[in-house]
Amino acid sequence: MRKVVVRTALGGLLAAGALVAVGVQSSVASLPGTGKPAVVIGDKNFAEENILGALYSQALKAQGYSVTLKDNIGTSEITWKALVAGQINLYPEYTGTLLSAIAGVTKNPTSATAAYSQAAAYAAKHGFTLLKATPFYDSDALAALASYAKKNHLTKISDLKKLGTKVTLGAAPEFATRFEGLLGLKADYGINPTFKPIAIGLSYTALDSGKVDVQDVFTTDGQLATAGKYVILADPKHVFGYQNVAPVVSTKVLAKEGPAFAATLNKVDALLTFNAIQQLNKAVSIDQQTPAAVAAAFLKANGLG
Amino acid sequence: MSAALRFILRDGQVPGAGPLPSLIHLTLSTLAVSGIGIGIALVVALPIGIGLGHLHRGSFIAINIGNLWRSLPSLAVLAIAVAFLGLGLVNVEAALIVLAVPPIVTNAYVAVDGVDRDLVDAARGMGMTQWEVLARVELPLSLPLIFAGIRTAAVFVVATTTISALAGYSGTLGDVINNETSYRTYGVLGGAICVALLALTVEVVLAGVQRALTPRGLLRGTSGRPL
Amino acid sequence: MLIAAGGPVIPDFNTGAFACERANPLFCFDWFSRNWGGVLWPALREHVLLTVVAVAIGFAISSVLAILAYRRRWLERPIVAVTLVLYTIPSIALFELLVPIRGLGLSIRSAEVALVSYTLLILFRNILTGLRAVPEEVLDAARGMGMSSRQLLWRVELPLALPAIVAGLRIATVTVISLATIAPLIGVQSLGTPIFAAIGNNLFKTELIAAGGLAVALGLFADGAFVLAQRALTPWTRAR
Repeated sequence: MRKVVVRTALGGLLAAGALVAVGVQSSVASLPGTGKPAVVIGDKNFAEENILGALYSQALKAQGYSVTLKDNIGTSEITWKALVAGQINLYPEYTGTLLSAIAGVTKNPTSATAAYSQAAAYAAKHGFTLLKATPFYDSDALAALASYAKKNHLTKISDLKKLGTKVTLGAAPEFATRFEGLLGLKADYGINPTFKPIAIGLSYTALDSGKVDVQDVFTTDGQLATAGKYVILADPKHVFGYQNVAPVVSTKVLAKEGPAFAATLNKVDALLTFNAIQQLNKAVSIDQQTPAAVAAAFLKANGLG
Repeated sequence: MSAALRFILRDGQVPGAGPLPSLIHLTLSTLAVSGIGIGIALVVALPIGIGLGHLHRGSFIAINIGNLWRSLPSLAVLAIAVAFLGLGLVNVEAALIVLAVPPIVTNAYVAVDGVDRDLVDAARGMGMTQWEVLARVELPLSLPLIFAGIRTAAVFVVATTTISALAGYSGTLGDVINNETSYRTYGVLGGAICVALLALTVEVVLAGVQRALTPRGLLRGTSGRPL
Repeated sequence: MLIAAGGPVIPDFNTGAFACERANPLFCFDWFSRNWGGVLWPALREHVLLTVVAVAIGFAISSVLAILAYRRRWLERPIVAVTLVLYTIPSIALFELLVPIRGLGLSIRSAEVALVSYTLLILFRNILTGLRAVPEEVLDAARGMGMSSRQLLWRVELPLALPAIVAGLRIATVTVISLATIAPLIGVQSLGTPIFAAIGNNLFKTELIAAGGLAVALGLFADGAFVLAQRALTPWTRAR
């Protein structure tokens, strides 16, 4: 009698276990990323890249993908080398930077779409695919304190011509040798400022302290979200080029991960308008929040977290 | 590698990148910044080290300041100097001086303190004043070790001066290493070669001076670095 | 390029809670405790790992070189010359010079080779000095007892050289801890990572002080640990 009871109990347990297992399986199996090979995402060594890396890895993880994030790898050159060496499979890159710093192109593309297609072509030649680009572009821009701009009636870059060498322009040392930098500004706008090398990370310190009159900044900097403090000088000739962000991913890895992989990343990138990325940058650069926390809040608010 | 050497021979120019600062200019600038730092550090540190050694006082501080110094990462000291004093030559020099003083003090102290007491007593016995003992007995015998400390500090300061580029200061050979975008990979390598050669040259020159200053009887190849 | 219909939802990000960070004073304790697990502790861990590996390998190499030079005096000068050159090359340059070498590249291997190079001179010198400082009478007595060359080395010479060896390890370790902060230059993580990040973020002082302070604290801790080790291992010497 007892043997029968035990057997039935065991049988019931097994059946229940199987049901649970099947139930678990089906809910896990419904996530597109399950079972796909692991992916390593990298990002460069500044806040906006850290945010993008966090956004991508968290969004993919929410879809069941197995993702490792290698944060803060280094400069563009180092990160690209890591991609080529296979240490990472994907990282967010700026179309203009891919062309100028990696591909060594010296001629400015004429539009954002041209920049994208040229960058995509270069990437494809090396075995990489560019996914869809963000609406925001993070190009260089020249900023001045609102008070300085008002005093000198500055609204566009060509307005600096009249100040000659009296105006100090601060920018990273490499700015002086770039066509989307000082060389292009001098050629296209005829300006001739006194150049002062200022490390990128010290831009706003230099500008706020008056060490420079005009500073090279980035259009999505969190500091620019403070209304009325800085004036961005207009660049109608697009000397600063086009810098939308698109994930660069190994084509082979992309094929193995399935269509939902690219679709997820494209959904994330579609959300990144100017305002969105500026607010994200502000939370990280000014409030010193972690990119991971900020990315999580953003994805959650938009149903992707 | 050959591209790096050609880059050096071109005085640091990269084709197609517009005019870049001359490598020679950057080297001289690095030497100048380092020189000012060492110079001021010598003026501050030598009197303290020699004085304490002569008086046989303050051994704890003099020796442990050398240990504390070794624990200070140059990059952190530079970055903190820039954070609190702002970017500029004066502030970078402040960091360099802070970093150069300890090894000079420690070596000067150990050198003067360690002069054979019998010799000092004999000199006193001959009627020399404190100052004469210092100038005519202690200092000549301490010179090798003092100079070894100066040598250590000098090479260290040259290295730290190049690191200042990472902390945002422009105008040294470190700029080349920190700017792969403009200089490209081979340029960065060329810059690194220049930095290495500069440091080695400083070391060799100062080693030669040290040898020249060592009284013949002491020429034993003292290493001199403080333990 | 795509634009989501209606635009994204931008959450509040709880900006009110970060007043201290915005003001960028000397030190925001909140930031420190919030970022310990995610930023500072991983950096510290990597830093310790880099240091331990570098000193261990450096010690192994230097010991072999020192024992060789102890037996054959003529080896000392060339070894000192090579290790001195390595020691003199500024860290920022040595890290970069190793990158093009096949097998090294932008990896932790380059960082380790560079850090090991900085330990060789001091460890070689100190181990050799320690071995040479063993009194002749002691060696004679041991030989008289019938010890072989090998037994002599392991049972007499090395133990008596311990004070100098430990002193060398002390200096080498602290030096490596200090230099490992440059590693992020070639993409290797260490306590330098938050320092570089703070520099790139308009000089966020809390992060600078936290990471720099941790590096200094780590150095002082290692220094102190070796002093204690020296006292414990060599009870017959009076520590200064």
